[in-house]
Amino acid sequence: MAGLLRRRAAARPLPRRTNIARFLLKRFALALVTLFLLSVIVFAAAQLLPGNVGRNVLGPFASQQDVDTYNKLHGLDKPMLSQYWGWISHFVRGDLGKSLQYDVSVGSLLGPALGNSLKLAALAFVLVVPISILGGTIAALRRGRVTDRAITITGLSLTSIPEFVTAIVLIVVFGVALKWLPVNATAPPGAGFFTQIKFLLLPSFALVAVLFGYIARITRASVIEAVDADYTRTAYLKGLGPRQVLGKHVLRNSLLPTIAVVATQTGYLIGGLLVIEKLFNYNGIGQRIYTAAENKDFTLLQSGVLIVGLVYLAATLIADLLYSLLNPRIRFAGAE
Amino acid sequence: MDRETRRRLEHYRRDTAGDVENTLIDEFLDGEMDRSDFLRRGSVFGLSLTTLGAVLAAAGEVPVAFARSTAAKVGGRLRVGCIPPPAHGLDPHTYADTGSLVTGNIAGEMLNRTTDTGKLVPELAVSWKSNPQATVWTFNLRQGVKFQNGQEMTADDVVATFKRLVDPNSGSQALSAYKGVISPAGVQKVDAHTVAFHLDAPTGGFPYLTSSTTYQAIILPANYQLGTFEKTPQCTGAFKLVSYTPGVGATYERFDGWWGGKAPLDGVDLKYFSDDAAVVSALLGNQIDLINEVHVSTGRALFNNPNVQVISAKGATHRLVPMLTDAPPFNDWRVRQAVALTLDRVAIRQRLFSGFASLGNDTPFAPVFASSVALPQRHKDIAKAKQLMAAAGKSSGFSTQLTTYKAFELPALAQIIQSSVKAIGIKMGLRILTSTAYYAGSQLGPPKGWGTTPWLNTPINITDWGGRAIPNVYLTSSLETKGVWNASHYSNKKFDKVAKSYIAAISLKDQRKYAKLCELILQHDTPAIYPYFYYQLGGVSKKVKGYHADPQGQVYLSHVSLA
Repeated sequence: MAGLLRRRAAARPLPRRTNIARFLLKRFALALVTLFLLSVIVFAAAQLLPGNVGRNVLGPFASQQDVDTYNKLHGLDKPMLSQYWGWISHFVRGDLGKSLQYDVSVGSLLGPALGNSLKLAALAFVLVVPISILGGTIAALRRGRVTDRAITITGLSLTSIPEFVTAIVLIVVFGVALKWLPVNATAPPGAGFFTQIKFLLLPSFALVAVLFGYIARITRASVIEAVDADYTRTAYLKGLGPRQVLGKHVLRNSLLPTIAVVATQTGYLIGGLLVIEKLFNYNGIGQRIYTAAENKDFTLLQSGVLIVGLVYLAATLIADLLYSLLNPRIRFAGAE
Repeated sequence: MDRETRRRLEHYRRDTAGDVENTLIDEFLDGEMDRSDFLRRGSVFGLSLTTLGAVLAAAGEVPVAFARSTAAKVGGRLRVGCIPPPAHGLDPHTYADTGSLVTGNIAGEMLNRTTDTGKLVPELAVSWKSNPQATVWTFNLRQGVKFQNGQEMTADDVVATFKRLVDPNSGSQALSAYKGVISPAGVQKVDAHTVAFHLDAPTGGFPYLTSSTTYQAIILPANYQLGTFEKTPQCTGAFKLVSYTPGVGATYERFDGWWGGKAPLDGVDLKYFSDDAAVVSALLGNQIDLINEVHVSTGRALFNNPNVQVISAKGATHRLVPMLTDAPPFNDWRVRQAVALTLDRVAIRQRLFSGFASLGNDTPFAPVFASSVALPQRHKDIAKAKQLMAAAGKSSGFSTQLTTYKAFELPALAQIIQSSVKAIGIKMGLRILTSTAYYAGSQLGPPKGWGTTPWLNTPINITDWGGRAIPNVYLTSSLETKGVWNASHYSNKKFDKVAKSYIAAISLKDQRKYAKLCELILQHDTPAIYPYFYYQLGGVSKKVKGYHADPQGQVYLSHVSLA
């Protein structure tokens, strides 16, 4: 009997907080491994870029000797492993080095660019997440009706149009013809909160157009699944009202895949907006990384990609946390 | 011409003018050059406006007209869109791209400036004069000029600036203009406000090389520290650079100590763009007032917009299509000529530039140069091209690869050439690189060879060449046997000799004589194809007054105002 009690005690679930902590710790460890692999890949990929850094910086008239001296001075002639260690060991200590292209600290270039990207991503998130969830939910609740078809077709159409087309249409209509919104997303220095929002509206609309169909479609499918589930029927049979069922049972369960999809878009929204940044002339981290790749600015390129990776993993961790809070199965599986 | 003017002119010719000036005046009076050429060349040799006017009157021409300066509205900030952003730091001697030269030249000034009509006007030098051999040029500097840091400009500053510009070990990009022309030891101070340039080789058009066409030649204080251009205002121009963010923009404020008086604008906000569509929509959306450079293919929306004016300046900016003359299949002049004869240049000009370009004739002597001699235009002639291919033993054609990079209209031109040469059996593959890859690799220069860089070592390629006020750089760098950018590996002793004579010639008559010889040799040998010389286009809001397009793409704002 005592043995049975011990076994029962051992099988008893761990406290909720401990489970979540373990789950997140595991995710965090995986994120570190991912970051390490990303740093190796981005370093190796940067080496494959064509061109000579010294020649690129010093120009066509520099003597070969000067080019060689420059490369030596910046450690570009050292073995790959040594170069990698030199970069990553400084990176983890917060020293991002100097841009080879501009000869200023990488932090001074990436800091404002990352800030800008985060601002744009945040506004896009604030707009796209509620609109898409609302759209997807309405479509699911009106399944097969005109509203459903209108939302689904609009979403699919917007998603299938390349972002540069959507962006140009928005620029031409709202920026050039109607002159309602600025076509360049960079607000003047010292601009207030609402002015900054105004400048970011057009690119945010372009991103909403790209992401709406995707998120709304996932939401719709999940809501339909949840509406048809046994627990929803049970909830209705218990006598709960439609609002309570929708809020407590349907949405709570159907938002799980939506959260996962939204989290996976974070990387795109932070570092993958090159086209949007170019068209709206916005100094985001995507443009910085692209220019760095064009100019073989290793320090800027590597640090930029790794920072985007860090942000992406942080967003994924937050999504995991939300996921685990909403879904006990994940929480307990994580503890095992 | 009244008696007093005649007396003054004769006095000038007898007592002041040297052989160079008198030859120039004689050439004009003998009808060797027209009025605009005379004014342009007179500015090269430092003839004053009074003298120019007197000579014009002597020839029965209307004297030089002085445009009455209209009172510009003072105040306001000009918003300039600049594409692309500077690629590197802002030390002027390192400028090699449009973004850098625009950023630096809003604040900086040169000894003299080349106008959109090709005339030289004084800037930090008030006059210049050469010896009869054009081997020593003496510049008198403007007095009372202040740098934006408060220092007074003297000959020491000019000497220090030019020593850095002509030093082969300084990383100077201006060596494209100065290599073989002048060495550091040749830059000498005469007195506090006079500088002499003792040249390595006689150069009749040297004042152009000190002007804004050499956009690196911004005069800086002698104690200028490298890497501080964007940190401390230290130029002499009407605007001082007060803030700079790489890839984002720059801010300028009016410099109240400018020697030219008070500039109409309070300041300038420069925004960098990396996308043509973005900069065009910014002008249309009233977020900027001016675009430094408009491309026909991407800027069509500007041409018919009532609020925008597209302005143009004819220049010598061109695309060069060099063919390797020292390796098959292009080591036979007949093959190279055949390739050149497949191109329908009129159609190319229309397709790529909507007519905003002059036709090229396979020499660097652009129509805009006064010394250029118009040879019969080379047109598409497939029958003749086939004959040449047959004579070269290549009637069945061959396979080759054209290399260029993804920028401007270069890929489109590559495709046109690819489809054109099919008519004579040439199967041409295209290799479109990034700009970095195209200019990557070593480029040692003769006699060590041209290294490994694609742009100097591929069978046939397309490279963009910036505009110049005189063709000297094109001749010395890309065509002479020891040219550092001789992408054809072209070597013709007769051409080298004639090109040197051209560069040394002082009179327009002599320049034209040697130019014609150069052109004839180049048209025959065809080491490279020059399909067109396109115009520099700029886009401005109609509220911008007093702005002129610059053939080199610079943005000169000292006299610009807002309506």
